[in-house]
Amino acid sequence: MLTFKNLKKTYGGRTVVDINNLNIRSGETIGLVGNNGAGKTTLFRMLLDLIRPDSGEVLSKDQNVAQNDHWKDYTASYLDEGFLIDYLTPEEYFTFIGSLHNLSVAHVVDYLRQYEEFFNGEILNRGKYIRDFSKGNQNKVGIAAALMQKPELLVLDEPFANLDPTTQIRLKSLIKSLKQTHRLTTLISSHDLNHVTDVCDRIILLEKGLIIKDFHTDENSLKELEAYFSE
Amino acid sequence: MLSTFLNHQWKDFWRSRNKAGSIAANILLGFFMLYFLVVAIGVGFWMAMIIGKAFPGQNVITVFNGFILYYFLFDLAIRTQMQELPTLSIVPYLHLNIPKKTIVNFLNIKSLFSFFNLLPLFIFIPFSVIKIGATYGAITSLMYVLSIISLIVFNNYLVLYLKRKSINNFIYFICIIGFVAVLAGLDYFKIISVRNASNFIFVAIAKYPFLALVFTLAAGLIFVLNSKYLRANLYTEELSTKDDKKVSTDYAFLNRFGRVGELAALELKLILRHKRSRGSILMGFAFLAYGFIFYKDKMIANDDFGKMLFAAVFMTGISIISYGQFMFAWQSTHFDGLLVNKIDFKNFIKAKFLLFTISCTIITVLASFYGFMSYKLLLLHLAAYLYNIGFATVIVLYFATLNYKRLDITKSASFNWQGVGATQWILGLPFILIPILIYVPFGIMNKPYYGLAAIGLFGLITLLMRNFWINLLVKRFEKQRYKIAEGFRE
Repeated sequence: MLTFKNLKKTYGGRTVVDINNLNIRSGETIGLVGNNGAGKTTLFRMLLDLIRPDSGEVLSKDQNVAQNDHWKDYTASYLDEGFLIDYLTPEEYFTFIGSLHNLSVAHVVDYLRQYEEFFNGEILNRGKYIRDFSKGNQNKVGIAAALMQKPELLVLDEPFANLDPTTQIRLKSLIKSLKQTHRLTTLISSHDLNHVTDVCDRIILLEKGLIIKDFHTDENSLKELEAYFSE
Repeated sequence: MLSTFLNHQWKDFWRSRNKAGSIAANILLGFFMLYFLVVAIGVGFWMAMIIGKAFPGQNVITVFNGFILYYFLFDLAIRTQMQELPTLSIVPYLHLNIPKKTIVNFLNIKSLFSFFNLLPLFIFIPFSVIKIGATYGAITSLMYVLSIISLIVFNNYLVLYLKRKSINNFIYFICIIGFVAVLAGLDYFKIISVRNASNFIFVAIAKYPFLALVFTLAAGLIFVLNSKYLRANLYTEELSTKDDKKVSTDYAFLNRFGRVGELAALELKLILRHKRSRGSILMGFAFLAYGFIFYKDKMIANDDFGKMLFAAVFMTGISIISYGQFMFAWQSTHFDGLLVNKIDFKNFIKAKFLLFTISCTIITVLASFYGFMSYKLLLLHLAAYLYNIGFATVIVLYFATLNYKRLDITKSASFNWQGVGATQWILGLPFILIPILIYVPFGIMNKPYYGLAAIGLFGLITLLMRNFWINLLVKRFEKQRYKIAEGFRE
């Protein structure tokens, strides 16, 4: 599904991302962990063609993401509030995103119905613009909008941060079930080792842009990670 | 503590991200202020002479007295619109171990550093010292000065108090303007005389100088009132604007344009839902009066279009230049979102063209009332309109790909230099020079109508080439988007 080849990015002489060869198969749920400055977000940004790599390339379904837009047909993402159009009401935003994928207003409304539980009555029909919501609720809007696009590849940066416990658990089961039903490939970065080991079946540990570890999760993964980070 | 706050403010200014731009802009603003100050000082020192010339045969002091309250009434009206509330800067201090009193004092002191507080000092004090001092003696002169200072302080804190009290400041702004206008009107029709009242008061002060302390008392009262209110309501959410219920809207007339229309609708919402963009649109309507300054009967009679071209291009193209100069930066907060979503860049650029064309058409239609002055102006506007939608749009969008400055669009537009960079300064040159350069040869040959036709033709041809421009701009955008996105992320 995804191939990162000789991908490099430096800022002011400091290497932020340096990945020789990384393959991600379709249907995998990948957890990206690493301390601040490990290069997780930069990696995501290059995957989404928001930053130009200094060298190397990202191939999505064997096509370079920087050279054409085909990846946008099956990729949905939410990195931060910069992805939300914050002067719209959530309804307007969902309608707009839906229209980009040829969903009618009725479709969007219908789709949102299944997320009523996820939204917990805090998102729809509140008479507020997105910018007036709390960060956690903005996150919910972004994640729901990403899922609405029925993606094959889902990219989420720190999705559990700012979410309340109930929503964290719901999000985890949502990702797991989408993996079963739609063979969804997911890339998640998180600082929460518990969540990552719980939801992901493969974990990639980054430090200063380099891949330090890359392994499939089992019952010892959490301990292994905790041991690594407490050093 | 207060000096620490001021020190932080100072650092805040010098370390702001767009330092170079804001310094350049502040220097320019500084020149404007200097100009006004010099004028004010001039008015102050030659007040006696100016009054003698403007109101011959009247007592100079009577006129001066009458003018004082008048000035402060207008001062009040202007302050309600222009003076900003110093609020947001205190947020990081509220939770610290700093007494509320100190924070309130800081806000109060900070508000005194305002241009509006400086201007009247220069206008009124020289006269009060020179003329009043010579006529009534030192004590009276001193009391005049005290009255002026008290009035400044009074207005300063009254406006802040009213602004804080009535959050929805647009309506009460209209109320105050209305109040002042009604008073001025009553004065004009000699029903109630503000000037007589003002004169009456200051004659009394000349007689019993210590009456001036009443002003000082009033200023003190409003200061205390303001401080008390602030201390009781030092919560950021209460100090900023209150929100009413927001509703989703749909612009049906844009739907016929499909995808492009959707993007245009999105941008229309952006314009209507932010203070800064609303401000620049309102400014556009204000510029409709530009013609009254620039179009002279003599020029119209002589077909002197060259001299009126600037005004015509600027007036009909104001929406393009005032909105377009910050193009893409309006969307800086969600630029990443636009890039990762399935938006065809071609449609993205087309939507901008669509908005420009619609707004430019509206403004040009509105400007057609100049046709009452002369039908020739309609021809002039038509040429300028074609140029604007044909080529000015292209210039603006081309320069937009060079603009990497994030724009904060939630602040008001007047005197706001945030996000201003080199592109905004350079942009105006080709915009205004191209039509003039096209016209000049015809102007020299004394064929003004051919000149207009040439501009119109140029606009029409470039308009017909729009698809070519769109492809060009899309290519350019593809190349520049990483840089733009990076700049906007800061």
